[in-house]
Amino acid sequence: MNRIKCVSINHRVAPVHIREQIRISPKDIAPVSGKDSEAYVLNTCNRTEVYYIGIDTAALLTLIGSLSKIDPPQLEKVSELFTGKQAIYHLFMVASGLDSAVLGEPQILGQVKEAYRDALKAGGITSTILNKAMHRAFRAAKRIRTETPIGRLPVSVASEAVELACHVFGDIQERKTLIIGAGDMATIAARRLKDRGIDELYIVNRTYENADRLARQLGGKSKPFDELYTAIKESDIVISSTASARPVITCAMMNKLMKERKHNPIFIIDIALPRDVEQDVGKIYNCYLYDIDALKNMVDKNITDRMQHISKAQEIIDYETSIFEKWMKALDATQTIKELYSLVEIHILDELKNGAALGEEERGKLERALRSMAKRLLNRPVDFLKSHPGLAHIEHTRRIFQLDEDYQDRHKGKQTCPDTDREGKREYIEYKTRS
Amino acid sequence: MTIPSLTLMIYIITSGVFISHLFIRNSIVIRISRALFLACVSLHLISIILLGKHIHQLPLASIPQAINMMVFFASVIFIPIVFRGSTFVLGVFFIPAAAFALSLVLPFTGSSPGPVFNPYQPWYPLHTLSVVIGEALFGVAAITSVAYLIHERIIKNGDIHSRGSNLPALSILDTLLYSALTLGFIAITIGMIVGALWAAALRLDLYNIAPKAVTGAVTWIIFAVCIHQRFAIGWRGRRTAIITLIGFSCMVFLLIGIRFLFPGAHGTGLLP
Repeated sequence: MNRIKCVSINHRVAPVHIREQIRISPKDIAPVSGKDSEAYVLNTCNRTEVYYIGIDTAALLTLIGSLSKIDPPQLEKVSELFTGKQAIYHLFMVASGLDSAVLGEPQILGQVKEAYRDALKAGGITSTILNKAMHRAFRAAKRIRTETPIGRLPVSVASEAVELACHVFGDIQERKTLIIGAGDMATIAARRLKDRGIDELYIVNRTYENADRLARQLGGKSKPFDELYTAIKESDIVISSTASARPVITCAMMNKLMKERKHNPIFIIDIALPRDVEQDVGKIYNCYLYDIDALKNMVDKNITDRMQHISKAQEIIDYETSIFEKWMKALDATQTIKELYSLVEIHILDELKNGAALGEEERGKLERALRSMAKRLLNRPVDFLKSHPGLAHIEHTRRIFQLDEDYQDRHKGKQTCPDTDREGKREYIEYKTRS
Repeated sequence: MTIPSLTLMIYIITSGVFISHLFIRNSIVIRISRALFLACVSLHLISIILLGKHIHQLPLASIPQAINMMVFFASVIFIPIVFRGSTFVLGVFFIPAAAFALSLVLPFTGSSPGPVFNPYQPWYPLHTLSVVIGEALFGVAAITSVAYLIHERIIKNGDIHSRGSNLPALSILDTLLYSALTLGFIAITIGMIVGALWAAALRLDLYNIAPKAVTGAVTWIIFAVCIHQRFAIGWRGRRTAIITLIGFSCMVFLLIGIRFLFPGAHGTGLLP
């Protein structure tokens, strides 16, 4: 287990000007990697991490330093080193978004998968152990997403607004969306809606050129400010973010407009300060109005809820780490042979139980025949493993005979979560506290 | 254990499983709920067929039998709703209500005043079935209205990540509500026209039919206004939901209340 290591330059230890200097690709690792070494490189805006086996840490740091033009001593100061169980625990935490700046953010899993695809494309950089570790990491992340609310609860104002719109309209892709204003906040909200597949996007701004520029950027259409009334009337979702000192959308205007649109529901997000929409608009029949404070309160609540579910997520990571650790320990020819014999013994005992009605003598004969048959059958794989004790062969044997817990659990139809074995987590937390 | 009691028991168990979905959100609970619901509907159908055989006529000869049939039709309408992912949760509202209604009427479904009409007359099944199907659809509309009002409140309060927040989107609920309302209205209208023609053919005493017919007409007008307002000035969502609930309450009064207030008036099975 201690063969696995990780060098992490992340948002907790490295300032942004250092992080933005460090970008390495899987191929860059080639000069320091040997015949049996493995490596996996992860680059995101918040971290650069290398998980490796069989590579000298000092050589790796020197290589990263030279590629990013940072002195190795300085690099050491802004990096964390994880070994063995800590490294695996850290990988699972990262993949699940529990180590992210925004707790539980879902994008990180996509980035981890993308980096793994890059590693596979680079050819032979990851092998048996890191491949298994990556699959376990994906599994841990998926479990955390499905079994806990971490990741489901939006933690940005734009995401929360989109979520609310989905509760009103269901599928929002075919809904007409109007953005009033062309500032930063409006742009972020519009981008978020575009990401969710909104087709018809209109932008209205007092300065028509700015509306036109943003519309071209986002693939929408611009309209002059004079057409604001008609634009609102035709839209289902309205996001307002202008710098106007007076409300742009008034109660009188909305009352008239709602009658004209036959009370079709309208969803209005007011992210401007001072507010663009009169507060009482929210009381009009079928008008759903949310201002920046309301959205922020919802987001704050989501963050608190996420924090409350950390312990459950950590339990999942503990469990997945312990499974990986067991698998690592089993990656040994003698252990695998032992397990093969135990497996056969279980089957022999099962058969003998079925023949309980037989007499003493027949049972003896049956047992001898079964043992002889099992010995003959196991002879070849055992001889092969003894003469070829490589990781790949051991792994194949374990998969063929389904010796690992995953397979056994699948047969039993259940998966139990051990409540012991928190050593990894404790080590990790102690390590982090020290560093 | 008789088939009706078994049906009721399965309905109660299914209600429990559906409610448990609010706390244990996983696909296994959903699958079990759906399987149990299908079992409910199948058993219910068997119990209705057996009852029909027992009384030698359509099991609509008394108010409990009519309510029993109405719950059955509503359950059949709910099958596609429960099997659609986004609307599955509506079962949490419907099935306990269905179980409650059945627990009230099932003990009395066995008694029948006997065949009191000419079974070869097409009026009886046409009138009663269309009215019962219409009422079942109004029941579905009422359940959807409750879900709509709750979900709208949740959205307005910005509490969309709470336990009860996995209700279908308001637009889906509104579409479902409107469809159930329109189809129910058509069925009830057919039932009323057929009923009027039947009464005319039988030359019935006006005293026997008036109270129920008047209350029925009032309910019909409420639903008619609701549908008209939607077409004409675009009433939808909350207003439609509230009016549907008012109309449904009138309907329940029509079914049960009038039986006690005007004994002998237009009760099924009391016709000459």
